[in-house]
Amino acid sequence: MNNTLDVKNINKTYNGVKVINDISFAVKAGEIMGIMGPNGAGKTTTIRMIMGITAPDQGELHFFLNGESRNRIPQASVGYLPEERGLYKEAKVMEILLFLSGLKGLDKVIARKRIMEWLEKFQLADKANSKVQQLSKGMAQKVQFIASVLHQPALVVLDEPFSGLDPVSQDIFKQEIRQLADQGMAILISSHQMNLVEEICNRIFIINKGEKVLYGPLQDIKAQYGSYQVNIIAEQEIPELTQSPLVQSFQRLGKKWSLVLKDNTAPAQFLATIPPEAPIDELSVARISLHDIFVRIAKGGSSDEINLENR
Amino acid sequence: MKLTWKIAKWEFTRNFTNKQFLIGLLLTPIIMLLFAGVPQLISKLDKPQQEVFYVIDEISEFGQLVEAATDTNLKFVQYQGEQAELEELVLEEEATGYFILNQAFLKTGQVQVHTAEKKVVFKELQGLLSNLLQGLRVQEIGIKQEQVAYLTSPALLSSVQIGGESNGDQSNRIGVSIALAGIVLFLIFTSGAMLLQSALQEKQDRMAEIILSSVSSDNLMQGKIIGHFLLGISQLVLWLSIGLPAAWYFMDIPVWAMISLGQLPILIFFALTGYLLFAALFVGIGSTMTDMQSASNTQGMVFMLPMLGFIFVGPVISNPNGLAAQIGTFFPLTSPTITILRLGLAEVPTWELVVAAIILLVTTLLVIKAAAKLFRVGMLMYGKSASAAEMWKWMRY
Repeated sequence: MNNTLDVKNINKTYNGVKVINDISFAVKAGEIMGIMGPNGAGKTTTIRMIMGITAPDQGELHFFLNGESRNRIPQASVGYLPEERGLYKEAKVMEILLFLSGLKGLDKVIARKRIMEWLEKFQLADKANSKVQQLSKGMAQKVQFIASVLHQPALVVLDEPFSGLDPVSQDIFKQEIRQLADQGMAILISSHQMNLVEEICNRIFIINKGEKVLYGPLQDIKAQYGSYQVNIIAEQEIPELTQSPLVQSFQRLGKKWSLVLKDNTAPAQFLATIPPEAPIDELSVARISLHDIFVRIAKGGSSDEINLENR
Repeated sequence: MKLTWKIAKWEFTRNFTNKQFLIGLLLTPIIMLLFAGVPQLISKLDKPQQEVFYVIDEISEFGQLVEAATDTNLKFVQYQGEQAELEELVLEEEATGYFILNQAFLKTGQVQVHTAEKKVVFKELQGLLSNLLQGLRVQEIGIKQEQVAYLTSPALLSSVQIGGESNGDQSNRIGVSIALAGIVLFLIFTSGAMLLQSALQEKQDRMAEIILSSVSSDNLMQGKIIGHFLLGISQLVLWLSIGLPAAWYFMDIPVWAMISLGQLPILIFFALTGYLLFAALFVGIGSTMTDMQSASNTQGMVFMLPMLGFIFVGPVISNPNGLAAQIGTFFPLTSPTITILRLGLAEVPTWELVVAAIILLVTTLLVIKAAAKLFRVGMLMYGKSASAAEMWKWMRY
C-alpha cells in the first residue's frame, strides 16, 4: 500500500511548552490509522497541523496524490471532521451540504445526488430540508460526517468521530468508515475511546504528552505485549490463582477479578493449573486490551516506547 | 478568488433569506417614512382654525376688508346694533372677538379688539388692517397705488459666486454631500455590525474549523467582507428606491437634480476604501471575541471608531478648508466621511485629496493584513475573548 500522508519529525511549541515533540507516522491508502491518547495528549494539535490550520515549527508533511508529492495540503482532496464541530443552525441540511461540497469543488448536480444517497444511508432523507437546529445531536453529527466524505477525498481525517454517539450510531459509523477504507480512502481517526478504535483500526499511533508511545500494526502491538488477561467472577478469595507463578498481576473489583498472565504464557497452560475445586462462577480469557497496554506504557513513561513499523 | 466568491455568495444568500434580515429590511423604510412623512402629512391635513370677527363699521370700508381677507383664515361679519348685545353674541357664538372701525382709526391707526379669550395673536389681522389703513391714507393724500408699490418695494438679495454656481445649486450640493457621508457611515455601521455577528456566528456554531479545512482564512475573511458589502449595498438600493421618491413626494426635495455630480469617482473611492478599512477592522476584532457580552474595553472601543468623524463635522461645516478639516481629511479613520463632506462644502485642493487617498489606501492595506492575522488565530479560539496583549502578539506572528 502506498502512503497518502507522511508526517515527518514534526514539532510544535506553544508559549514555551513543547506540545508536540518529534512525531512521525504515515497513513496509507485503504487503511484506517488510529491516533490515540488521553485528553490533552496532542492529538488535535497534530491533526490541525496536518489540516494546515496551524503550521508545525519544525518537521515536514507530505501528501501523495495521483503519484505526485506535495508539502501543502490539497484541501479539495482531504475531508475533515474536526473535534470542535458544528453546523450553521439557521441553515437547512441540503443547503449546508451543498455549500461545503461546493467549497471542495464538487459539482452541484453530483453533490445533490450523493447527498441524498448518504442521507438515505443514515435514514435522514426526510430531513434534507430541515433546519440544523431541528436535528438531534446524533443526526447533526451524521450530517457533519457526510460533509467530510461527500467529495470522495483521498484522505479523511476524523477527530473523535464517535464522541457523543449512542451505541447504535457508533456501529453505523464504524461500518461506514470501514467501507470507505475498503474503497481505497486513507483514513486517520483520532480518539481517546480505545476500545472503539481497536475494533476498526489497521494500525495505531499512541501519543502521550506530545510524544510517541507506540506505533505500528495493531496485531503486532498486541503480539509484542503478548499477555493474556483472565477475567473471573468469584465470591471468595482465590489465592490458588492470584498467587500462581504464571500470573504477573491482578486487580479485584468486588467479585470481579482480573488477572494478567506473564508474557509468553499460553491460556491453556494457565487453565491447566486451575484446581477443580476453585470457587469460580465465570471465567473468560482475552488478549490484553489496547487500553491496558496504553495504561501500562503511559504509567511507565515513554522509555517503554517501541516502534513496530520496521519489523 | 473562486472560493472567496463562494463564501461571499453564501454569506449573501444566507442573510438575505434570513427572516430577521428581511423583517428589518422592510420595517426600516416603513419606520423612516413614518417618522419623516407623518408630521408632513398631518400639517398638510391640519388646516388652522378660522377666526371670526364681528365688525362695527362706521367708515363704510367693510367691503374692502372682506375682499382683502379672501385668502386668509379670517372671517368678518358686519354688525349693526348695541355694543353690549354684540359682546353677548361673541361669547354665545364662540367668535374670536369684535372691533370698531371709526374715524379715530383713520386718524391714529389704533384699534381696540375685544376678544372672548384672554390671549389672541393678531398677526394676520394686523397686516390686513395696516394695508387697509395705508390704502385709505394714500387715497386721502392722492397718490396712486402703483406709485406706492414703487416707493415701498424692498431690496432683493441673491448671491452668485464668481466663476461658481448659484445659491440653490450650492445648497443642493451641501445636502448631497451630507447625505452621501451619512450613507457611507450607515453602510459602515450596518454592514460592520453584521460582519461582526457573522464572525461570531462561525465561532458560536463551531463552523470555523470545517470551513478553514476547505478555504484559507484570507479567503474566508475576504468572502465575508465582500458578501456583507453586497448585502449592505442591496439594502441601501432597496431603501433608496423607496426613500428617494418618498422624499420627493412628501418633502418636495428635488432629489433627481441633486444626484448629478462630477466628483462621483472621488466619492466612490473614499466611500469604498473607507468601507473596506472598517470592515477589515470589525471582522478582525470580531474574530477575537467569543460573544458580544464578553467584548473587552479595547474591542468595544474599536466599534466606536467610525463615530470619530462626528468630532470634525461642526468645525468642517463652519470652515471647510481650515486646520480641523485638513486633519479630518488626512486622518484615515475620519478621512472617508470628512473628505466626502468637504467635497460638497468647498473646493478641496487636489494635493490634499491625493495625500488623503494615499494615506487611506496604505492604512487600509495594513489593517487588512493585520486583520487577516487576527482572523487566522482568532477564528480557532474558543471559550474566551483575546486580550489586547494577545492580539498584538498574533499580529506580529
